[in-house]
This record gives sequence, structure tokens and C-alpha cells, in this order.
Amino acid sequence: MEFPPNTTATESLKTWANGYAAEMTAIRQAFEATGDGLTAVRRRAELVDQVVTGLYADILSVPLHEPANFCLVAVGGYGRQELFPYSDVDLLFLSHSKRIEENQRGPVAALARTLWDLGLRVGNTSRTLTECGELHRDNLEFSVALLDSRYLAGDTQMFTLLRREIVPHLVARDRQVFVQDLLTITRQRYAKYGQTIFHLEPNLKEAPGGLRDFQVARWLTLIQELEKSGQWISAETRWSPETCAEAQPALQFLSAARCFLHFGQGRDDNHLTYEFQQEVADLGLRLQVGHPTPAAHWMRRYFRHARGIGRLLSQVREEVESSRSSLYSLFLDWRSRLSNTDFSVLRGRVFPRQTAPATEWPLVLGLFERVARHGLELSREAERWVAASLEAGALPRLDLAAAWPPLRQILLLPHAAQALRAMHQLELLPCLFPAFRAIDSLVIRDFYHRYTVDEHTFMAIQHLHALGQKPVRPASPAAEAQDENWEDSFAEIFRALEQPELLFLAVLFHDVGKGLASSNHIQAGLEAVEQATAGLALALEDRATVHFLIASHLEMFATLQRRDIFDPETVRAFAEKAATPERLKMLCLLTYADVRAVNPEALTPWKAEMLWRLYAATLNHLHRHLDDQRLQAAEAGKESPALLSVLPWDATPQRMMEFLDGLPKRYLATHSWEVIGRHFEMFRQLGQNPVQARLHGQKRDWHLTVITWDRPFLFASVTGSLTAWGMNILKADAFANRAGVVVDTFRFVDLHGTLELNPSEVERFQKFLEDVLQGSASFEPLLAGRLNHHRPPRAKLEVPPYVGFDDHSSSHSTLLEVVAEDRPGLLYRVSTELARLNCNIEVALVNTEGEKALDVFYLTVNGRKLGTALQEGIRHRLEKVLAPHNP
Amino acid sequence: MTKLEAIIQSSRFESVKNALLEIGVSGMTVSEVRGHGRQKGHTEVYRGHEYTVDLLPKHKIEIVLPNNLVEPAVQAIIKAAKTGKIGDGKIFLSKVDEAIRIRNEEHGEAAL
Repeated sequence: MEFPPNTTATESLKTWANGYAAEMTAIRQAFEATGDGLTAVRRRAELVDQVVTGLYADILSVPLHEPANFCLVAVGGYGRQELFPYSDVDLLFLSHSKRIEENQRGPVAALARTLWDLGLRVGNTSRTLTECGELHRDNLEFSVALLDSRYLAGDTQMFTLLRREIVPHLVARDRQVFVQDLLTITRQRYAKYGQTIFHLEPNLKEAPGGLRDFQVARWLTLIQELEKSGQWISAETRWSPETCAEAQPALQFLSAARCFLHFGQGRDDNHLTYEFQQEVADLGLRLQVGHPTPAAHWMRRYFRHARGIGRLLSQVREEVESSRSSLYSLFLDWRSRLSNTDFSVLRGRVFPRQTAPATEWPLVLGLFERVARHGLELSREAERWVAASLEAGALPRLDLAAAWPPLRQILLLPHAAQALRAMHQLELLPCLFPAFRAIDSLVIRDFYHRYTVDEHTFMAIQHLHALGQKPVRPASPAAEAQDENWEDSFAEIFRALEQPELLFLAVLFHDVGKGLASSNHIQAGLEAVEQATAGLALALEDRATVHFLIASHLEMFATLQRRDIFDPETVRAFAEKAATPERLKMLCLLTYADVRAVNPEALTPWKAEMLWRLYAATLNHLHRHLDDQRLQAAEAGKESPALLSVLPWDATPQRMMEFLDGLPKRYLATHSWEVIGRHFEMFRQLGQNPVQARLHGQKRDWHLTVITWDRPFLFASVTGSLTAWGMNILKADAFANRAGVVVDTFRFVDLHGTLELNPSEVERFQKFLEDVLQGSASFEPLLAGRLNHHRPPRAKLEVPPYVGFDDHSSSHSTLLEVVAEDRPGLLYRVSTELARLNCNIEVALVNTEGEKALDVFYLTVNGRKLGTALQEGIRHRLEKVLAPHNP
Repeated sequence: MTKLEAIIQSSRFESVKNALLEIGVSGMTVSEVRGHGRQKGHTEVYRGHEYTVDLLPKHKIEIVLPNNLVEPAVQAIIKAAKTGKIGDGKIFLSKVDEAIRIRNEEHGEAAL
């Protein structure tokens, strides 16, 4: 295209416009024929060069290389000749002095105006050489744009000065701040996009793994080289062949996709919507086959390339940061407390100490344990080491059961999501659980989800751990609901979990079914998790819990959306599904995390409050309606297949039903059939010994089961005996069957290690307890000494005591709810007061969460509910017992 | 044109939405709101804390309708949202002077 001589301004403008449009049409046609985005953007830059330089000579009325001390420079994407079809044309009018800049103001304005009239979006700026030599921290984009500067017209010596002295001097002087600011704005950009590549509708330029990341990697490399040698190099020449082999195709792919978007929309919009994903996939753009392909398949390619660009930037950052190290700081890093015998940690990245491929799985998983524990990034060496270890064949056949302890540890650590992402990216997670391969970068389209299925999963885990990191705050639910600090409410639930690893495992698998060939993703996910949990050798009841969570993971949200959660019938039905408080807690948190991970706005304060209210109402229901939901002998028989599996050869099913008859239904929900079988065996031995006590546990965590005939002071005697031996009761359930046989279970902490350090004491304690319950021994002297000498430490969190009665929830018991600061002997004191007032404990649900004791007792006196006067008497006595100053 | 605002039980929202779609009302604005009318709140206890459930969660639907659709829409909402219990919600109607579609600057009912 040439500038037309001897024409009027309007005519020449029209001619330029027509010429530009015709050339752009040719570029577009060529692009559509080849899918070569990089050629298209280079050709557009060349076309714009012709227009700009032609108009420059025309408007300034000077030859192309004049006037002196003034020149026109292409910067930014235009400068590096990567001008996307509708990208801005960034121009720098460079003057030697302010006076020259002032003189050229008119021609500059005229040139810019004319370019706008031609339909080009021009970003023009005028600067002196001196101004270019300063780092503009408040306008870093300008200083960065100079790294891509290219001469267009005017004084060539000026431009040479800019390139040979001004910019290199700037970099040499301000390199550290320059790099730091560049990394800061990159971090801010990542934060804006939720720190993830895996957006369902990504922004091809700005999102992590997008073209901007590629440029940042180039700039960082160039800055490093300019500082070192003052040379302008192509950044790619400093990258390893391995890096280039990954980065160049990624640049080609993303450039083509961005060109496609620009041409398709007729504007600089880089948002790859579902509609464009379909169009681009229909074309098979940048796929070798070049044929129509499913959009999800094309997007997987996109994510693979975006991941490659993300890795490139990470690697360049690593090199830039390490080049800044002083010997002393390296020494400090080496000695860092985060390093261990297998891995060293340098500047937040973890490196394997051994270079040879790993020969044992714990070592490989140990790397990710470091990441999960400390939030470290993997070094390039670590990535290579994992890949080589998986490929070398030196690792033994994977034993999932052996892998479970380290994997469990990873799941429980605060940066688990980061570790799991790395494991997934390096193919380790699919190696452990092949179903994960199916959800790798998987796009499932809907109006709500913003991330791919795998990323959604990791985000859900991340949100749960964020709850775990929240500080404990003494806040009431009412205040939380009003202040919308609802995260604290869910954090409190999270802290109360007994087996959080089961929740994390359920979250990990809750959506894997979406990638499997099935019309029902929940069912497919259940099949996958069944295989996995069997391989992990989880206990049957734990497998059942994970199965329940995945099977029900949509139910809580569906209930709060489609049912009236203030209707007691809705709550009753939901409580029946949840069955136990522990499962309810996990289901609530799974729902919370699942919804939060849909998109940053999905869990509105309104929805969070609804979720919490359904949880609270259901938990209350589970605690308050135990008494009326008792097993009938015939009903217990429904469990016959499981029942028969644990039935001793010499016992009849009728005898088992006799044992179960009248126990709360909760008993079946909270105990596996294996445990029920053991309880039944104890029940059968009551004829030989009327008190059956079994103790088992390890280290500090112990369990006691007592099966005997009900009698006054029974519960108080057991709690008194445990306290007398220095045990701190964390949890207890007390149930009784229709025949009056109690099944009391206690979980306690052996505070002084008595049972662990002296195994013979286990038997002695069981004997002591049997003697106490048969009236041949007393725990009181031992207890008195224990309580007199015990001064509990001051609680970190004040728990105001609460004593509440409920006469309505149960048809034949009065519910007593006690909340207080936990301390040794508390349960004994409470149960003793109740026994002294002739109250019979029909059911007890005792729980401890941190420093808070939460107890619910179903009480009767002579088989009837408690009168008002007795309730007041109990309240009066318990308030004294629970007062914080009363040890 | 008439603006219809309906405050309904959240659990009835899907039914109401479907009922409106069936009579040809496709566009609506929906908000998650809290409030109460004659349906006052109640006190609950959770782990020793008493709290009052006084502002109850509701859905608010806003639609601007051509006048011939107002009565059918009202009836559709009533039919889908009514349980007969306190707290079923309310419908408010008010006149709208003008409507403009931003994309093509259409005015009046054509813009709805």
C-alpha cells in the first residue's frame, strides 16, 4: 500500500482507509485459511507501519528520517510486531527536549487524529529521552512498553540512544524495583482471576496462562539480559530448548485463538466465551488434524498450552529470583527450617536432594507433603524429578493402602489444594486414582460454574482449609447472621470435625463422575470412589461415610432451595437422611465448599445463612429427637444381612434383636456392624458378669464401652472413675434398650499417658471400673485427690455457661442442654448432680469441641418428664457447677 | 405497563418461575431478600446461644408487564406460591411510565 500523491486530505484519508480495509481483509482470509495467528499479527503490524510512516511523512512534511531530535517509536505489542486485529496501536513520540516536544504537539495531534479517523485505536504518548530514562512506578506499563520499542520514523540516532543507553541504564539502575513491580502487578492480575488458569470462559490475554504471562516471561528475561550485558536479545534464545518446545506452540495456539476472537467480534475482546469455543472447535483451529472437534477437547488443548505458559513464567521467575540471591541468603535458605533430609527449600521453592529417580512412593509423596505443609512451589528440578520417577519404572507397584497415610497427611495440611494441583499436573494424582484423568481440564458448561471440574475440586478443598485457618472467635450465631460473618460459623463446624480426612476425600471425588461415561455423575463418582477407598483400605464405616457424602452432595443445597427449611417436616426428613451429627457436619461443609468453588459470587451471604440455618435446625433435631426414634425388634431385623454377618455361630438373630430392641436408631447409625457385633458379645456375657467393660485405644486416644444393667448413679460412676484416673472425656453416648441394658461408650484422652506407658494398667482399670459399678470399690478418694490437685489452665476462649430445658421435643423425656467451658471432671460433676436429684439419664450425648463442652441429656424422674420446680433446681445447681471460677 | 413485585417463599420460587414461563413471561429480575410481614420470627438455641430468626429469607421477583399480562401473571404467582400458611408473601403492582431497551433504544411495550 502506498501513499497517494497529489490528493486532498479527505481523498487521501479515504484512500488510506480503503487500502487498510482491503489489506486487513486479505490478512483475515489468510488467517482463516491457515489458522496462523502469529503471521496475521505480524502482517497487521507491517500494514500499520506503512500507514503510520506514510502519514508521518505527509503530516510532518518531512522525509522519513527527519526531523532531528524527534522520532516516532512503536511500543508494546505493536513494537514487537504482534498487533492483533483490533489491538491498540501504541505510539511513542520521542523528543530530545520539552521544547521540541512542544513544537511537535500540533503534528503529533494531527497524526493521532488521522489514525483514529482511519479506525485505528491509537494509544499515543509524548516523552523526552530523559523521561524515558526514569522508572515510572505509577505507570509501569510505559516503562515495560519501552522493552518492546521499535523504530518507525524520525531521528534514527535518537532511537539508537534510547535503545543503547537510556533503557539499559534504566534497567541497570532500577532493575530490582522494576522486576519487583512487574511481579507485583502480575500477582495482582492473578488475584483478579482467582489465581487459576482453569476458567471455563478464559480471557486469552489477561488470565493466568494467557498471552500476558508469555510477555511477562519475555520481559523478565530481557531485563535480566539488559542488566547483565546491556544487549537486546530475543528472550527465547535464553530459554532452554525444552522450554521453547513447550512455550512456542502455546504462543501459536493462543495467538491464533485471540486472532479468531478479534476477527469474530470486530473488537479487542479476549474473552473466550462458550459460543466462541464452539466456533473455534468447529474449525479445529490450531489442531493438527484441522477438523471439527468437540469444544471440550479443544479447550483441553487450550488449558494444556495455558499450563505451559504458566510454567514458563514460573520458571523464568525462579531464575530471576535465584539470580538475585546473595551467598548469605542462599546459606540461610539452605539452613531453612523448611528443608529436611530429602528436600531443600530455596526462596519458597522445594528441590529434591537426590537427582536419581525415586525408588519408593513415600519419598515422592513426601515432596508434596512439603508443598501442602508450607505452601511451597515446586522447582523445575522437582517437576523433572517427579516426571522422571514416574517414567523410570524404578518405583515399585503402587500400593494404595500404603500410600494412604501420606496422602491423608497431605489432605489435612493447610496447603493441600496447592499440593493436589501439582500432583494432578504432574500426573501423580491420576496415577493414584485413574478417574482423575477423566476430569483433567474438563469443561462442563452451565451458567454458574466458572472453573474446570478439576480446578473446582481443588478450590473446594482450598475453601475448606481457609476455614481451618480462621482464628477462633467468640461470636454468637445471631450476630454472625446479621453481620454476614458467616464464614466463622462454618469454621466452627470445621474445627469440630472428628475425621476431616473423610470430608476431604469426599470433596476430592465428589465430581470425578462428570468425566466418566455415565448419565449420572454421582453414580459414576460413587463407583470410582468405591474402588479408591477399597484400595486405600479404609475402614468399612469410613468408606460408608465417604460414599454417603458423595451420594448426598447435592441434597443439602437442593433442600434449602426447594423446601421450606423452617418447616419441621423438612428438617425431620433431612435429619433422617443425615442420620448422625458427624455426617451432617461434613455434608454441610461439603455443600459450603462445593457452592463456594462454583464461582466467587455463588455463595451469597443469603445462601450461606440459609445453609447454616438448615444445618443448625437439623443438628438440633438430631440431638432433640433421639428418644422417640427407637429401634423396634422387627425393624432391627431389617438389617438382617449385615446383622447375620456379625452374628456369632452360637447366637440366634432373635437374641441380637433382643439386644437392639429399644436402642435409639442413632445407635445403628453411629456404630458399624462390626462394633455392634462386639457389643452384642458383651451383652451375651452379662449372665457371667453383670458389668462388661472394654477398653481399647492407642497413645492418648482411648475408647471405653460399658454394657450393664441400668441403675442410679451409673453414668456418674463411670465418669467419676475415668476422672479419678486422670482421663479427660471428649465424647460419650449413653443409650439403653427396652430391657434396661445400657450401652455407654466413651472416648477420652489419657492426659498422663498412664495406659500407654503401663499396659498392665488397662486391665487394672477395667477391673477397677467393674468393682466400682458392682459397689465393691469407690472412686471417690482417688477422685478427691485428683480434683484437689488439679488447677485447669485458663481457657483461651471464654465459654459462657448455658443450661437449657426442652419439654417439647421428646414425648416422654425432658431434654437438658448444657454448654460450658470444658475441664476435667465436668461431666462427672454434672451427672452426679443429676443423679442426686433422682434424675434418670435415658440418653446422653456428650461432646467436646476444643474448649467447649456440649452435652445433651434426656431425663426422666420415675419414668416421667421433669416438673418446672425440679428443672429450676437443676438449673440452680448446675450453674454453680459450671461457673468458670469453680474448678 | 405495570411493574409487578412479588415477595414469595424461597421454596416456591422454582414453581413460580415455571408458572410465569408457561404464560409467556420470560424476563424477570430475581433477588434474594430477607424480611417479614405478619409472619414474625421465633427464637432458637444453637449450642447454648439463643438467636432470633426474625428476618426470614424470601425471593423477590420484579417484572414489568404489558397490561394484558398483568392479571394472568398475578394468578400464576398466586397459584404457584400459595400454601395457605402465614408467610406466603405479597404481590405489589405499580404503573410504569416508560421502558427503553438499551441495545436498540426501542421504547414502550416493544422494549419489554
